[in-house]
Amino acid sequence: MEFKQVLGNRRSIRYFEPDKPVEKEKIQIMLEAANRASRSGNIDYWKALVIYRDELDAETLDGLRVPTTTADLDMAPVQIYWFADMSYADPDNFRKNLKELVSLGALNASHGWSDAYVDENVVGQIIAPMLSDPQVVGWMGTIETGLAINQAMLAAVDEGLGVCLHAFNIETAKAVFKFPDHWVPCWTLLVGYPAEDPLTGGQRPRRSISTMAYINNLDTPWEEDPAVTEKLKAAGLIQNEIDAEKRAAEVRELARRFGLPE
Amino acid sequence: MTPEEVAAAPSVVRWFDSARLNSDPDEEKQLRYRLLADFSNHVGQSPDEIAAGLLRTTKAGQSAISAKRRAAMDASIDEFVEKSGFTGKDAVVNGNIIRSFLVHNGIFIQGRAWRG
Repeated sequence: MEFKQVLGNRRSIRYFEPDKPVEKEKIQIMLEAANRASRSGNIDYWKALVIYRDELDAETLDGLRVPTTTADLDMAPVQIYWFADMSYADPDNFRKNLKELVSLGALNASHGWSDAYVDENVVGQIIAPMLSDPQVVGWMGTIETGLAINQAMLAAVDEGLGVCLHAFNIETAKAVFKFPDHWVPCWTLLVGYPAEDPLTGGQRPRRSISTMAYINNLDTPWEEDPAVTEKLKAAGLIQNEIDAEKRAAEVRELARRFGLPE
Repeated sequence: MTPEEVAAAPSVVRWFDSARLNSDPDEEKQLRYRLLADFSNHVGQSPDEIAAGLLRTTKAGQSAISAKRRAAMDASIDEFVEKSGFTGKDAVVNGNIIRSFLVHNGIFIQGRAWRG
């Protein structure tokens, strides 16, 4: 699928084919996509635990439910638990990785980088103080993990899968999966083949970028170029908004199929 | 409560309007009324009381869902379904009909999905 089409086709899928297996190959593609995400200092911020639903016993599956994630856990064949691994926040990790990036030329003298700068300046004077602020550590760990999750989601869409991020019962997950204390739980990403129209009848409404983006100063909203907008529509990035009537009919049909509330 | 009394309750009228159930076949509508009437009798509360009882008032004076009472109500639904002898898909569907009543009265609650 073309990249812009992938971006345009992503939806939060709410109904999955519960018994259509998800190929391990496709999960690997998602994980590799996550592994290619931008990451400051080339640090490994994220951890992921892939769970095939049918490998869980009924009690564990029940225990992972929260009020917002109940029916979904029954339907999605795969759950990927994402964590921000806070052990990244060690100045020595940055020293090692930054020196590697310098030696490879990814960070280079043109931009002021050198082994000496890493050894004698940046770690001690910038990284270490930064990592002593818990708010910064939390912000950085979770935002970098989020970048990885997003790439995994887009890769899934490219592979014809449906995905949706969900909350989960952290207490149960901790007891069952025994993840270490320095892994901060972020989301579970439910994965499966969509039982609904994968495009769910259209995109969710989005406000114009001119309401969120500015140019040169905050008094000047970004002005959309209609020609670009048309180009993005042709490429599938911008699509028609969801048709509420059609969606209601689809939801009703799916609710009846799965015995869910209408 | 009788199905007729249930049908006239404001919370049930609200449910049918919000879920667009009024145009359903009469048989389906009666099934819902009867099921909710049985559930009301099971918990000893009217539909209006059931819905209102899941809400609490915050210190700031706002209405909020009581997570504890919602969990208890969810368990009551499962208990009712079991006691009524529903099995298989019927158990899932009938429990979720009651949850649908709660959902359309502003109570966020999810049931299990039937996987066949």
